[in-house]
Amino acid sequence: MSDKTVSQSPNLSRRALLKAGLATGVAAGAVGAARADGDPLITEIQDWNRYLGEGVQSRPYGTPSEFEAHVVRRDVEWLTASTESSVNFTPLHELDGIITPNGLCFERHHGGIAEINPADHRLMINGLVDTPLVFTMEDLKRFPRENRVYFLECAANSGMEWRGSQLNGCQYTHGMIHSVMYTGVPLKLILEEAGIKTNAKWIMPEGADASAMTRSIPMEKALDDCLVAFKMNGEALRPEQGYPLRLVVPGWEGNMWIKWLRRIEVGDEPWHQREETSKYTDLLESGKARRFTWVMDAKSVVTNPSPQAPVTHGKGPLVISGVAWSGNGRITRVDVSIDGGRNWKTARLDGPSLPKAMHRFYLDIDWDGSDLLLQSRAMDENGYFQPTKNELRAARGENSIYHNNGIQTWHVKADGTVENVEVS
Amino acid sequence: MSKFLKVLSLGVSLAALPVLAGAAQAGDPDKGAKVFKKCAACHAVGENAKNKVGPQLNEVFGRTAGALDGYKYSKAMIKAGEEGLVWDDATMTTYLEKPKAMIKGTKMAFAGLRKQEDLENVIAYLATFSSAAPAAEDAQSAAEPETAEAEVETAAANATAPAPAPVSAMREGGVLGLGRVATEDEVAAWDIDIRPDGEGLPAGSGTVADGEGLYSENCAVCHGDFGEGVGRWPVLAGGQDTLTEERPEKTIGSYWPYLSTVYDYVRRAMPYGNARSLSDDDIYAITAYLLYLNDIVEDEDFELSNENFAEIHLPNEDNFIADDRAEEPHYADKSEPCMSDCKDSPVEITMRSRILDVTPGSVDDDDAAGMGGVD
Repeated sequence: MSDKTVSQSPNLSRRALLKAGLATGVAAGAVGAARADGDPLITEIQDWNRYLGEGVQSRPYGTPSEFEAHVVRRDVEWLTASTESSVNFTPLHELDGIITPNGLCFERHHGGIAEINPADHRLMINGLVDTPLVFTMEDLKRFPRENRVYFLECAANSGMEWRGSQLNGCQYTHGMIHSVMYTGVPLKLILEEAGIKTNAKWIMPEGADASAMTRSIPMEKALDDCLVAFKMNGEALRPEQGYPLRLVVPGWEGNMWIKWLRRIEVGDEPWHQREETSKYTDLLESGKARRFTWVMDAKSVVTNPSPQAPVTHGKGPLVISGVAWSGNGRITRVDVSIDGGRNWKTARLDGPSLPKAMHRFYLDIDWDGSDLLLQSRAMDENGYFQPTKNELRAARGENSIYHNNGIQTWHVKADGTVENVEVS
Repeated sequence: MSKFLKVLSLGVSLAALPVLAGAAQAGDPDKGAKVFKKCAACHAVGENAKNKVGPQLNEVFGRTAGALDGYKYSKAMIKAGEEGLVWDDATMTTYLEKPKAMIKGTKMAFAGLRKQEDLENVIAYLATFSSAAPAAEDAQSAAEPETAEAEVETAAANATAPAPAPVSAMREGGVLGLGRVATEDEVAAWDIDIRPDGEGLPAGSGTVADGEGLYSENCAVCHGDFGEGVGRWPVLAGGQDTLTEERPEKTIGSYWPYLSTVYDYVRRAMPYGNARSLSDDDIYAITAYLLYLNDIVEDEDFELSNENFAEIHLPNEDNFIADDRAEEPHYADKSEPCMSDCKDSPVEITMRSRILDVTPGSVDDDDAAGMGGVD
């Protein structure tokens, strides 16, 4: 392992230190002669094996091990003018399975994190309804509720890669996504409680934060699978995810999942709010722009190995792992290429396969130590295949910002380091 | 958050803290933290605070005005410092009451804090990030709060749940009878949205000339005097005919389809960090000025009102189309994709991220600003 590789990750340097420690230990053993032959971590009694650890209640709300301190959301400072209207990224390369831990779900705020006491929170339904209503959190918890796992992807995920490979790490290229189990009330039940008028065609959810975030959503979607959620992964929503209440809009771009949800207006036309006109519209090469591009199409990425997670073990068995998702339903297949898309093998999907949720795939290979050009290609239940980046550019140009679901390539070099590249 | 603040926010007695005087003593730092949200769009304070639109405010008390390294102050602020202005309890109070009255020419667009209580609280809050107490009293060591913190942590572990949210009485009608009827005033307070057809516009008006003053006071600090945008803050004007270029400039004049979005957005979310502070007439005036900056109206006497609003169309309205992704060739192709020998020759690398590596933590990312954006 080169020094350069070591310096890239605190995790690696720790391993390097351990290795160094092991070597010293062995050398000392040779001199002392009294030491047993072997790994001193085994042959010598360790502190944690002898002394008592902390008792129960030393960590009333548990947090990850101190050795996982590097597993955090990270941001890219140059992207935005201020942190209150900005984004950070989920460390996908450190995670496995299909659920994102609450504290690692990427954040995107437009007016900072609103801190709201649930006792002070209200949800209003108004507009084209029989009776405009106000609900407290306690009222909402008296509706029948559901549990559903869904991914949430920002429409701008991979948006910095339209003009070419730019950021070195799947956390940055693909980390504007998380996958969470929500508990909430079907939006349909809440709308029916107020009574929807026959000419009602759209809803507009609104946040209580300093941006008063708003989006127009067609009634068909509102009545289909949207949830008004108050729990994520079993516990209350995190403040940065909209505590105490957020909208869940399965399979559609994350900006529509209004956080700190305080109002839903019902109307007969869309409102053309700032986030669906000046932003979250997809500028094409012709100068025309698509609007209301809600669905997040099928997409996948290899999370390991990747630039932040190089191969440290040399040739031999190598687990290639990644995630795939589709806003149109289940992922039915993921193919992986190790030669830049010339030849493909179908990967193994493992864990629950739920519609509009993240899926986990693995391809277990025997690495011969030569350079790899790793790609993954997702297929969803409608037979839609993830396109190449060049196919997307040919159809849209390079100024779309949003909805870049093109196939990602990682160059794994013989020394195990990995780089974000594009290929012929 | 500093240890000081952690202690304070959990309500430990102020006796453990350094003796403060004046506003800082009278104020409640915990409440001040809330007041500071008005300032936080432009000013950072606390651990790793950096200069933003305004200078970072760690150790602000005892600091000479206009003297922080690395921040570009107005000439007026530098002059005030050279003439001996040092930030303490009294000078900060005067400044925050009405910044432009004290330092004519300051870059700070903020109009000032009207309530004495807010002034005292925010100064008390800022004082927790300054080792010099605002009135230069002796500061005790930080050892005592540390002790207090240990007690507080125990208290936090025993914290009980907050009072439950109120429950609405059961009502007639509906499916389950949940929730209560919203009053007209409640709906009016929150339903402030505007549609392109003008639905939702309040009665009122404002002229380009009025808007110019309001804009320079409230908007120019981030968006620039002519809507050109400061740093990475949004550009509001110009950019016409750039949408097909390599670097399109998406402004109100070049890109936005509807004027209603301008009024609606300013009304709900601007000025950044002080939302809902402008009157309906102010917003008409600012919207009129933005039309003027974009050459959509040319007369400084032009008055925008709820009467003529829906007559105005933005130039790019017709260039928005429905989502037709399904028409793209790769969508239509439902055939089984190629699995082997899919490319004629071995694959070549055509681009590497290191060429424009702007990844955080990479060698030279300090000055690097990548292409593209998230918003």
